Amino acid sequence: MQAEQAGCDFGGLVREHQSMVFSLSYHFLHDREMAEEVAQEVFLALHRHLAEIQSPEHAVFWLRKVAAQRSIDQARRRQRRPQVALEDVAEPAAAAPAGDPMLSEVLRRLIASLPEAPRMVMVMRYQEDLDPAEIAELLEMPLGTVKSHLQRSLALLREKLERRGLGEH
Amino acid sequence: MDWLEQELKHALARKDPPPGFAARVRRAAGRSRVFTMPRWMAATAALLVVTGAGIGWREHRGRVAKEQVMMAVRITAVQLNRIQTRVREVRP
Repeated sequence: MQAEQAGCDFGGLVREHQSMVFSLSYHFLHDREMAEEVAQEVFLALHRHLAEIQSPEHAVFWLRKVAAQRSIDQARRRQRRPQVALEDVAEPAAAAPAGDPMLSEVLRRLIASLPEAPRMVMVMRYQEDLDPAEIAELLEMPLGTVKSHLQRSLALLREKLERRGLGEH
Repeated sequence: MDWLEQELKHALARKDPPPGFAARVRRAAGRSRVFTMPRWMAATAALLVVTGAGIGWREHRGRVAKEQVMMAVRITAVQLNRIQTRVREVRP
């Protein structure tokens, strides 16, 4: 089936999924410029492979997968851990649920300090709201590994928050 | 979902890319389309280049062989002339 017949015109896909692709990269890399660069690469790759896209759902799966791969590649190329400054913290795209902005910033920094595999798993889980099986398929990772990354990362975050006096409230 | 997971969802909410991002992507995609050629055309172009290079190489090898033959003929002619001269000198 042709991509356009499946309702996958390039301009529409960019408009609809730009926040998703940019945010996956931004939350993983914690660098707006790099995230924009990666997001642009992802959409240009989509443009080259548009004929292979079979449905809007396939487009979302494809974009998430390629965004994850390109973000990891970018992090490896730069050979550095993401560093975030307060002014780099982007504004939410839509009205976000109520939360403590200071705690959110601490959490973003803590996630940025995780190794790449658990970091990407956490971003997929809490940005994209994917369940472990979907994350395992997307990142081509055993389900047990995904669950283990989630449990360990959550335990680590709890421990670090408690040490900072930001535990359960 | 406990409080930490709720806070994580809030912290990792989707963000908008910088203004003009979609337009920049579409422009870049338009530029890349100008330089994109179909696979069959790229394969034909590569085949022509390889064939052309092969023909050129064969012609070059032919020229080199011809020059070598001509050089051998010239050397033989010089030798024959010398022999002929010696024969004439020896004859009474």
